[in-house]
Amino acid sequence: MTRIDPGSAEAVAVLVSRLLSGETRALAKAITKVECGEAGAAALLAAIQPHLGHATVLGITGPPGVGKSTLIDALIAELRCRGKRVGVLAVDPSSPVSGGAILGDRVRMARHTGDAGVFVRSLASRGHLGGLFRTAWGVIQVMDAAGPDYILLETVGTGQSEVEICDYAHANLVLCAPGLGDDIQAIKSGILEIADILVVNKADQPNAATTVSQLQGMLGLRSAAASGVSVVTTTASTGEGLPALADLIEAIARDRTTPAGRRRGSRGARRALANAAGDRVRERALQAEDSSPIDALCERFARGEIALDAAAAELVRLVADGEDGGE
Amino acid sequence: MGHPDKTETTPAAPGYREAKRRWETEYRPQVKGDDVRRNRSGIELKPLYGPDDWDSARYMADLGLPGQEPTTRGIHASMYRGRPWSPRMVVGFGTPEDYNKRMRDLYALGLTGLFVSPCNSHLRGYDPDEVERELLGTCGTLISTSDDMGVCMDGIPFDSESISVGDTAPYTLTAMLIKVAKQRGIQWQSLVGTTNQSDYLSHYAALHMFYRLDLPGQKRVLLDHIDWMNRNVPRWNPISIVGQHMQQAGATPAEAMGLTLSSAIQYANDMIERGKQPDDFLPRFSFFFDISISFFEEIAKFRAGRRVWNRLVRERFGAKDPRSGKFRFHAQTSGVDLTRQQPLNNIARVTVHAMAGILGGLQSMHTDSYDEAICIPTETTARIAVATQNILREEAHLGDVIDPLGGSYYVEALTNAMEEKIMAVIEAVDAQGGMFAAVKSGFVQKMIGQSALAFQQKIESRDEIVVGVNEYVYDGPSGAVPPALERPDGKKLDAYLAKLHAFRERRDAAKVAEALDRLGEAFSSPTTNTYEKVVEAIDAGATHGEVCHRVREAVGFGQPLVVV
Amino acid sequence: MSSPGLQGGRPAKVLVTKIGFDGHDRGSRIVAAFLRDAGMEVVYTGPWQTVENVVNLALQEDVDVIGISSLATDHLIVPKLMEALKTAGLGHIAVVVGGIVPDSEVGLLTDAGVAYVFHPGASRDQIVNTISGLAANARASA
Ligand SMILES: Nc1nc2c(ncn2[C@@H]2O[C@H](COP(=O)(O)OP(=O)(O)OP(=O)(O)O)[C@@H](O)[C@H]2O)c(=O)[nH]1
Ligand SMILES: [Mg+2]
Repeated sequence: MTRIDPGSAEAVAVLVSRLLSGETRALAKAITKVECGEAGAAALLAAIQPHLGHATVLGITGPPGVGKSTLIDALIAELRCRGKRVGVLAVDPSSPVSGGAILGDRVRMARHTGDAGVFVRSLASRGHLGGLFRTAWGVIQVMDAAGPDYILLETVGTGQSEVEICDYAHANLVLCAPGLGDDIQAIKSGILEIADILVVNKADQPNAATTVSQLQGMLGLRSAAASGVSVVTTTASTGEGLPALADLIEAIARDRTTPAGRRRGSRGARRALANAAGDRVRERALQAEDSSPIDALCERFARGEIALDAAAAELVRLVADGEDGGE
Repeated sequence: MGHPDKTETTPAAPGYREAKRRWETEYRPQVKGDDVRRNRSGIELKPLYGPDDWDSARYMADLGLPGQEPTTRGIHASMYRGRPWSPRMVVGFGTPEDYNKRMRDLYALGLTGLFVSPCNSHLRGYDPDEVERELLGTCGTLISTSDDMGVCMDGIPFDSESISVGDTAPYTLTAMLIKVAKQRGIQWQSLVGTTNQSDYLSHYAALHMFYRLDLPGQKRVLLDHIDWMNRNVPRWNPISIVGQHMQQAGATPAEAMGLTLSSAIQYANDMIERGKQPDDFLPRFSFFFDISISFFEEIAKFRAGRRVWNRLVRERFGAKDPRSGKFRFHAQTSGVDLTRQQPLNNIARVTVHAMAGILGGLQSMHTDSYDEAICIPTETTARIAVATQNILREEAHLGDVIDPLGGSYYVEALTNAMEEKIMAVIEAVDAQGGMFAAVKSGFVQKMIGQSALAFQQKIESRDEIVVGVNEYVYDGPSGAVPPALERPDGKKLDAYLAKLHAFRERRDAAKVAEALDRLGEAFSSPTTNTYEKVVEAIDAGATHGEVCHRVREAVGFGQPLVVV
Repeated sequence: MSSPGLQGGRPAKVLVTKIGFDGHDRGSRIVAAFLRDAGMEVVYTGPWQTVENVVNLALQEDVDVIGISSLATDHLIVPKLMEALKTAGLGHIAVVVGGIVPDSEVGLLTDAGVAYVFHPGASRDQIVNTISGLAANARASA
């Protein structure tokens, strides 16, 4: 039996039609292809473009251990009761030393493994900063093409600088646990801005109500932009508070047809491109060989012979030249 | 609690300091400068211990006499002179008939303790016809009805010997045993034995074998079990608190002891919260530990654990009854230490394990068979394991003198150092809010996982040598008789399943349904003793699986917390 | 391409799991850590997975290798898993078993298509090298 080159146009076309018809194995393979930038990834993404837009994408973010995966588990249960199909992309950090990762988020979602209306995929950040992974934008599209009603995106959980997700998702859930000022401080430093829904999880623990009022206080200081932010409490481990959260989420899904909702789409593409370009420049700079032009530029910058902005512009040019030079 | 500062130590014998200095000048050049050795618990070991390391003036405070506070030297005045430890073998495979035959054979060889170890399908809370047939009876005995228990105990004097059942919430095996005793006209209230796997915290944290219900449900059923057994079968130990699982899962000996005592503290507090008096339930607490090959460390672990518990029950719970502070324990030689390579070497390892356990003052012991790392022990190998204990008792005379290592500078200093480590673990768990909270949050699982990985890394880097595995490797014939694999035969399984179906047909279905309903309802009333309803359901003819399902419906199916 | 880790290609992806009734997870946790430290991506699950669950996990995660840890005779249902993987079109995935497997039953597993059986005492290097080799083959034939 001769094998068809999996990157060939013919193979991609077959994969796309299987993906669109809802075949699980095709979805899994297509995600891998796009995630890893395998041959045919670009063709695949091009082919699915007419079939996108059905899913409502929700970012789930918050500090490590706050209960993101457990909340997703509970949310899946609630959405399944409402007849919705759900896709999950759960990201765990890669070890900066070995590059390996233990992908443990789905352990908390184990009860849904046999449900045909749920597809969970674990992914590693592979050095990408910002809580997701480099090819997240494309992988979300692949998942969308398979037809779920919701895509839940669990970020790595640094609790910081996860702005990327708000360009990819229609709405963001930011989780925090009841607690003292510390957690709130962490949330204040940036992540609060990206929340559409603030979820105080682990409401079975003390101080949940205090935390809610603190958060509401902080939101009150903000202007109109923050006025649409809801604060809810959940106990993900028991499912308490989930129906109300699901109601909010379903309202967001209905709102997607508004102009503001549609604008999100173009921002996501832009963000994906900017991130990919940034990653590329960063990698080139960090991995430049000794006495290459990039290495020489770094030396000049280190000695203070060239200003930061000028050096950065020069770096981008050198990287671009390298790309042109072809490999 | 704690230990005297080294400076408090009494002046040593005349001439000692000078002699020690001379020894040191001779010793130094003979060893490598960086020769730092630590035991598994991380305690740095000196090359020599002497009067600086243990102050004999602390004798009464730290050791006392056997049977007296703080029981460091043993919990009974007479120890093995009065009653030798019981060789107790875990026997479990095949059908109830297979079990009964094996048990009778071992009994004839001098086994005094009985042990029922059920099939893994049973552990998970199912009846055998609900699960994959391939797994039936390969790892424990099939017991799903009181009739099965009757067959297991046929001709076994379980009214005169103590019996250990590998039983966990909702404790159907114990209920079956009670029913069999009733059927035989035995005074069931005077049964002696142990519900050996009732420590759900250790299963949740380290083993996931005997863990069937959600944590809060597991807690309720255990406390009901303790309470009911204390009142109705007063000589029974309804809880055995287990360090063995945690040490087998990778906890260091000090961690395993500290965590076990933390569990015991949790259970005691839970009982006190229920309004029980410490002296009512503490005398029936018993313990179960692993014995690794780290010989002196294990001896010190047991001596320190015994002392810590004895003090804890008085200081924390205000127990007055001397029986409350008696740290009675069963121990099992470490399966993790055994190797698949050159399996006969394991007989030597098990001997060392067993010696450490005996010198540590255990009350009963299971010695592993040498083929434990290859398969479930066979009859021949189990016989050698029992013989090992008999040899140590009868030929080596290890039971003749009580706590023979007491007063050894090294053993006493090590006992003190282990105590410090153990206390540090207990305090760390206290800071988490107790053992229940600490296993729920994954704190304990992380501690164990890190220690397991660290130990494995040492084997990989050959800082820890395992003979025949990473050093002294020999690929030639091992001389061991290839184990004849014992898998239950298909016909016997068919017959077993037919018997189970016949049992279900024969019983009074309405009575069973009613008893199961009452069991389910018991959970909605906080004051009803749920274990009483389990005993009634089994008595009415419910099967193990039926009882487990009903309890799970009420309190939820237990899932382990996966910590990586 | 300049950096194989991020541009195309991917680290080996391995599912480390336990089927049947056994709960001992010391071995599977250590193996998962070893594989991660060797640069692989490991999907890790709790014990007591059903054969059907393992197939679903492997399917959704698109793994190259499945590692089954078995210390209490659960290896006896591995042939069922092999059959189920084939039926699901996942015959390319390499399956390895580690733990206590009696010599006389190794054949039962290899005949069913198990790629490798690790016995107690297997070294980290042996485990890592075998699995990464199997992963590369599995991917090539996916
Ligand atoms: N008491 C309580 N515990 C919870 C709740 N939600 C989650 N947990 C527990 O919190 C721990 C962490 O939960 P995860 O869902 O893994 O948290 P996460 O945010 O996904 O963690 P990372 O992915 O590691 O960042 C687990 O032990 C959960 O059982 C809750 O509502 N109440
Ligand atoms: Mg998570």
